[in-house]
Formats: sequence, structure tokens, C-alpha cells
Amino acid sequence: MNHLSSETFGENAKAALADSHLRGALKNATSLFGERRKAAAASLPNWEDLRSEARAIKDDVLSHLDRYLEEFVGNAESRGAKIHWARDAAEANSIICDLAAESNARIVVKSKSMTTEETHLNAALEAAGMQVVETDLGEYIIQLADEPPSHIIAPAIHKTRGQIAELFNAELGMPLTDDVARLTSTARATLRDRFAAADVGISGVNFAIAETGTIVIVENEGNIRLTTSLPRIHIAVMGIEKVLPRFADLDVFLKLLPRSGTGQRLTTYQSYITGTKRQAGDEGPEELHIVLLDNGRSRMLAHPVTRQSLACIRCGACLNACPVYQQVGGHAYGSVYPGPIGAVITPQLMGIEKSAQLPYASSLCGACREVCPVKIDIPRLLLHLRAEIAPRKGKLSERLAFKMWAQVMMRPSLYKMGAVVGRIVQRFVPVAKAWTNGRDLRPIESKSFHELWSDE
Amino acid sequence: MNNTAREDILGSIRSHLATSAPYDKQEVSRGFARMNADQNPSSSVEICGQFKESLEAVDGHCVIVQGDEGIAGALTQIIRGGRVAISDNPDVERLLHLTDLEIDELGIAPDAHDIFRFDVGISSVQAAIAETGTLVLDSTRERHRFVSLVPPVHIAIVRASQIYRTLGEVLTLIRKDKEISPAVTFITGPSRTADIELTLAIGVHGPQELYVIVDEVN
Amino acid sequence: MSGENYKIGNRQSAIGNFMKVSLFVTCLVDQLWTSVGVSSVEVLRRVGCEVEFDKRQTCCAQPAFNTGYLDEARPVARRFIEIFEESKADAIVSPSGSCTAMVHHYPQLFAGDPEWLPRAQAIAAKTYELSSFLVRVLKVEDVGASWQGRLTWHDACHGLRDLNLKTEPRTLIRNVRGAEFVELEHADACCGFGGTFSVKYPEISVAILDQKIDAIERAGVQAVVSGDASCLMQIGGRLSRKRSKVKVMHLAELLSHR
Repeated sequence: MNHLSSETFGENAKAALADSHLRGALKNATSLFGERRKAAAASLPNWEDLRSEARAIKDDVLSHLDRYLEEFVGNAESRGAKIHWARDAAEANSIICDLAAESNARIVVKSKSMTTEETHLNAALEAAGMQVVETDLGEYIIQLADEPPSHIIAPAIHKTRGQIAELFNAELGMPLTDDVARLTSTARATLRDRFAAADVGISGVNFAIAETGTIVIVENEGNIRLTTSLPRIHIAVMGIEKVLPRFADLDVFLKLLPRSGTGQRLTTYQSYITGTKRQAGDEGPEELHIVLLDNGRSRMLAHPVTRQSLACIRCGACLNACPVYQQVGGHAYGSVYPGPIGAVITPQLMGIEKSAQLPYASSLCGACREVCPVKIDIPRLLLHLRAEIAPRKGKLSERLAFKMWAQVMMRPSLYKMGAVVGRIVQRFVPVAKAWTNGRDLRPIESKSFHELWSDE
Repeated sequence: MNNTAREDILGSIRSHLATSAPYDKQEVSRGFARMNADQNPSSSVEICGQFKESLEAVDGHCVIVQGDEGIAGALTQIIRGGRVAISDNPDVERLLHLTDLEIDELGIAPDAHDIFRFDVGISSVQAAIAETGTLVLDSTRERHRFVSLVPPVHIAIVRASQIYRTLGEVLTLIRKDKEISPAVTFITGPSRTADIELTLAIGVHGPQELYVIVDEVN
Repeated sequence: MSGENYKIGNRQSAIGNFMKVSLFVTCLVDQLWTSVGVSSVEVLRRVGCEVEFDKRQTCCAQPAFNTGYLDEARPVARRFIEIFEESKADAIVSPSGSCTAMVHHYPQLFAGDPEWLPRAQAIAAKTYELSSFLVRVLKVEDVGASWQGRLTWHDACHGLRDLNLKTEPRTLIRNVRGAEFVELEHADACCGFGGTFSVKYPEISVAILDQKIDAIERAGVQAVVSGDASCLMQIGGRLSRKRSKVKVMHLAELLSHR
């Protein structure tokens, strides 16, 4: 798989801007998503109250995350679930591969889970000799195309139907058609027997209820229900931040998540899974394993500004609202989590070494904060991360430039001189090609406002 | 098992929360208040009608009938023979036999291997939600986990007395159980996706068609 | 917002009222767009304010703050606070939403600093963007301006989302005699400037900008107005590169027009 790296975000973005198929697909997707979200939010007169309530619940959980996690684990275990703690991606993958191997699994069906994309689970399972089948249509498409997801909830949204038609034709021998209903029913038919044959089903988790030990998973396609009902073993993978305190809290989040994500009042299916079956003959898996993943999340608890990153319910609304994402799409970010939320959690999860560009990939417009159902102040987070990155990783020329800038701004005499120098420089030097490549530059005034005021 | 990992993670959570404490004090309170966010005004809209409207808005089919005769009549309209799988609720079998349908095969709660060959699945439900057109299925009270999922057509039989107005009420109902059921499923319409260019396609992995027969007199 | 609680006495009609305003002109306007500063002074005087200008002012420190250089931003911010603390004016008024928003962020910059936090809060509480000051504080909606033609408004992001400026500029524009106001499609979409973003990621900046330019062209206007000179530089720079006839105009310039 040719993953783009977040280290080369700038280059990735330029390439994306030159891809007219991609730009067309993005324009279509983000504007439709945006309109639907807006209409769905408007249909609830208490939308703002719900956002505040959801954020209050998340703040409570995150401030007491150890306690709520332990409560969840205790309740889930008492109902027969096996809990596995994974400090990082490697540990999570190893746990899951061991579970699959212990049960002599050959075929693993998966429903969409960004957490498993984060850990690159599929590669680990395949290396261990397992056949991994992605069953969510968008995930299935990108699996066929050998690409990473480009959106948190619609992984293949960067592809036009024509591109998908060609893909299905090449990989599945399906006659070329871009009729969406026919493409979908081909996927249904092709994947059907995988569900029946699978030994292990792997899913993500949208919410984990501490009070009852219940995991809640939402979807539209039905592949999550199949993945979590048919195979003998169900492995659910969740970030430690997915906990909610009470079952009743779902009322708030089930109102916010579908509307924010797709503009739906409710997704077609919600599965509420609490432990294992009561009797041997009951329908459903024999074993339920829940993998709790840290992978850098606990570190984010160390400051109130970064802690709110963990409130994210993975709706994708910020992606659709972001002017940068709208232009370049998800792959350019080089991360499983793109867009505004990706720009703040990727550096925190993966470290700033490779992802230092991401917090700067923003005009700080704040559209993301406006649409976030849990009121994450992403611009504030971006600034917080920039303040960590600039002094350590900023280019030397930039750091020096700002030190000089401060000196000039502290001294009116230097400031005035700076203007004079600027006027001269601008006449002889093509200033800031980065600006002038696309835009005309306004010339420095021959007299500053300071000087005009003196004349009065 | 991996107790070290558990202690490491919980320890990491605690120590990082402790680090945050002085900064938490500096944060100007934003006043995210907990409140009873949802006070649904009681609606005078008739509950069966509201359920039907909500379900049809998400491409489900809904027919409102009176009593067992009505249900049988609706089944006759919907089913065109074939192989029919039903849940283990004896009511469902009884209602099916009230019809004169000729079906090729009847399976009662077939298992995971057999379920795939059936054309239609019929079940009852444990509750329903009017404001969203949702069916609530509890797999410990009825064997319908596969019946409601695998065959391309799902027919659900709902009695009016099972319909609640809001999602919140049903969540409360589920939570009432001292030991919450291991597998509860909410179903709102037939399966769908918009993964290709955000264009809606009905019928993906779950049923392609959902019919709900509502008995408004019981 | 922080300014709302500041008491400045009764406000009725504009003319005849005496209020003292200290102008925070911003380094951008000072160097690159002086007519915005001149127009702001003219409008404020026209509605009865006495305007003073402290020539020691330079910058609010937004460029350093936004790029992550807090150690460089803080001394510049402290200097701003010190200078304006000395003013006896009732309010500090600026023709820039983003610079005003920066001053409102000073408490964040000095969080946990027992000496500077209260001083930052006090200055932030009396700093206003021009249209907000006119409409919310002075309760003035008509400044006696006139301008012939079709125009539209671009909501600058900081003004819109940090300062909640949406109706105030529109109210003022609608009272400009002779001006035909057209609501821009996606008026609240970012223009793509974003400070250093515009030169760190210029291609993305221009791609975002072109959405705004398309909307402006579709609106069929003679001018696009905004409350932030930075947005106008971005939009104007592209319009002129594309040889468009559409002009950019700052709200202050429009309001001072007769």
C-alpha cells in the first residue's frame, strides 16, 4: 500500500489539487454531507443544548477516565466478556493475532473500525496467515484498491463511481457499469459467503457504557450485525476514550452522532452487546473479546486543552466543514485521521516528529468548531500544538525571523524604519513568491498611518 | 492475563490527569451544563400513524391492520411463496398458518448455516419507537437475530401496545432489566449505504426490504 | 463576549454624544491600507466620538501567537497592554476582527500569570471591533454614508466566529444610501488567508480563495466589503490577478463614503 506520509503534507496537498477527479468527488461529498448535517441539526430545536450536554458528559468521563474504565471492565467481565488491555498498536495487533491463532481462524471478517486502521491490524493479521475481509462497502472498495481510507465515516469518498466501476471490473470481473445499485449488490453478493465462512468477526465500538458493560455499535449496512452475530468469536476494538457513564447517556449521543455524520435521524442499525450469550443454544458468538487501546490517548489527558481531543465521537462533520479538507481530501494528511480532528490527534498519537506540518495545515477559520457535536475547540488545539512545535521544530530562519519581528515590534523607531526599508525592498525584490504566484501584492503605503496622523 | 498492561494504562491515565490539575484551575469555566436535554412535549399525533410515517421516511414499508386476521391478510399480500424463516415466537407461526400461503420451506429459527437459503424472515418485536420508525429486538426473548438479518426480506409484526413514543423511553425500558440483555438490536428501515458518491443505495448486507405490520387494536 | 459587561453610560442618538475612543489601527492597516485607518477615524468622529491615537502602538502580536511563538508574542502583547492602559479612553476600537479577537485572547496568553492576567482581561474587556462598537455599544445603525452600486459582504472568520459579528455589519451596510446589498453565497466560508497559512500553503490558500472568487463573480457585484484588511488583501489580490472589475472595500471605507 502506498501510504502518503504526513511528513510531506505540503507536497501531498499540491498533488491532490492537481487531481480533478478527486476535487470533483470532494466537492460533491463535502457539500452534500454539509447540507444534510445542517438540515438534521436544524430539525432539533434543542441542538445547542444537546451539544453542551454531550460535552459535559465527555468532560466528566475524561476527568475520571480510570474510574469509568474500571467500572466498564468490571461490568463487561461479569457478563462474560474477556477484556484485553493494549498499551500500543503493536500490543493490540499481537493480542488480536494471538486470539485468532488460538481459535485456528483462517478467515476474519471486519466491519469498519478506524481504531484498527490506526494500528494497521489488517497487515498484522495477514502476516500471521489470516485472510482478512473488509465488509463495509467503503472499506471493501479501498481494500480492493489497496488504499488507505480518506474520510472517517466514508472511507472511499475520494473515488468517483466511474473509478469504482473500473475497480470492480478489474478486481471482480464485473461488467463495467457505474450504476450505484448494481455496484452495491455486487459487493453484497461477493461478501455474503465470507460472513458465513468466517471464524472471527472484528468490529469497532462507538460507545462503551460503564454502568452496564455494554458496547454499542452503529451502522447502516448490516455488516456489523453480521460480523458480530455469525462468527464464533467476536473481537471488539476500542480506544479507551469511548466510555460513557450511563446507558441513558446514549439518548444524547444517538441524537448527535447520526445527524452530525450523515444527516440521518438514526442509522439503520444499532447493536447493544453486553457480554456473551446466556445459554449455549442462543444465537450469537461463543466468545466476546474487548480490546482496550491506549496508543497515546492517556497522554492527552495531561492538559485541559488536549484532553478535549478525546471527546471526539468520530462523526466526520469537521472534515466536511473544513476548507482545507474540502480542497485536498484525506490522503494528503498521511493519517488514518485526516481533516481538523486528524490535524490535532495525529501529532498527539503518533508524535510530532513526522506530523509537525499538520497543525499548520489550517487557516484557523473555526468552521470545524461550529459543527463539532461535542464542541471541541479545534482552533485552540491547533494553536496549542503550534506553540509546542514552533520553538522545537520551526525552521531556523523562521525562528530567527520571529525573534527579529519581536524586537521590531517592541521599538517604534525600529518599526518605523522597518516600514521604510520595506518600501525600498519591495521595489527591487520579488517579495514572497509564495504570495505572488497566485495573487497580486498590495504595495506598502508611501506614508504609514502613523505618519499621516503626525501630519494632522 | 495482561495485568501489567492494565496497570500501566490505568497508571498512565491517573498520572496524566494529575499533571493536568493546575491547568484545569486556570481554565475559564465554559459552563457546559448537564441538564435534561430532552423534554419531549407529549404529542397528540396518533402513535401508529407516527410510526408508519417515520418508517416510510426511511424506505420501510408499513401497513396498519386490525387483529390477527388483519396480520394474516397483510402477510398474504407481502409473501410470494418461497422459503420462509420465522422466529421461535409461537405467535408468528400461528399467524402464518392463518394465511393460505403456499411456501416451499418453513424454517423455525434456522441456525447460522441454514439461514442463508431463506427468502423471507418473519419475526415479532419486543418494542418499537414511533418518533423514528424503529424496531427493538431483544435476542434473549425471541430467536430472531438471524431471521431479522440474513434473508433479503424481513417482515416484522408489531402490536400497537409495544410502540413507545421516544428513543429515550425505550432506553429506559432496556435499562430496567436488572441484568441487561446480551444482544439488543434497533432496526430503522432496510439496510442502506451512501459510500459511493454519497448516492443512496438500499439493500446492502442486511435485508433489502423491510415490511412492518402494525396491529393497531392490540 | 468580554466587552458586553463594560458600562459606558447611556447611549441614545449618535450626534452630540461625547465618548473617547483610542484607535488601535493594526500594523497591517498602518503599513498597507491607511485609508482604512483614516476612514475609521472619520466615521467615529462623525458619530460623536473623540478619537485619540497612541503613536507608540505597533502590533497586537497575532502573527507570532498564531504561528506558535509565544515567547515572542508575550512581550509584544505586554507592551500593547501597557500602552493602552495609559489611555483615558472609554474604549479601544479597531478596524479588524482578527486583531480584536487576538486582544480578546490575551487572557489565554497570560493564563496563570497573577500580574498580567487581570491586566489582560481588563484591556480585552474594553477592546472592540469597529462595527460591533458602532452597533452594540453606541447603538448606531446609520452613519450617514452613501455609495452607489451593488455590493456584497464577506464574513471574516475571526469576526464571525470569535466575536459573533454577523448582523452588525449587515445592518450598517443596509443603511448606506444607494447601495444595493446582495447576500454572498457561502458568505461565511473562509477566504483562505489564515495569516502565515497563506504563504506556508499558498496553493491550498488560493484553491480555497477561488471558491470565494467564484461566488463573488456569480453575485454580479461591483464591490465586496469585509471587516478585515487581511481578507481584503487576499480577495483583492486574486481579483486583480484575474483582471476582475470587482473592487474590494473595507467596511470603514464604505461607511465613511458620502
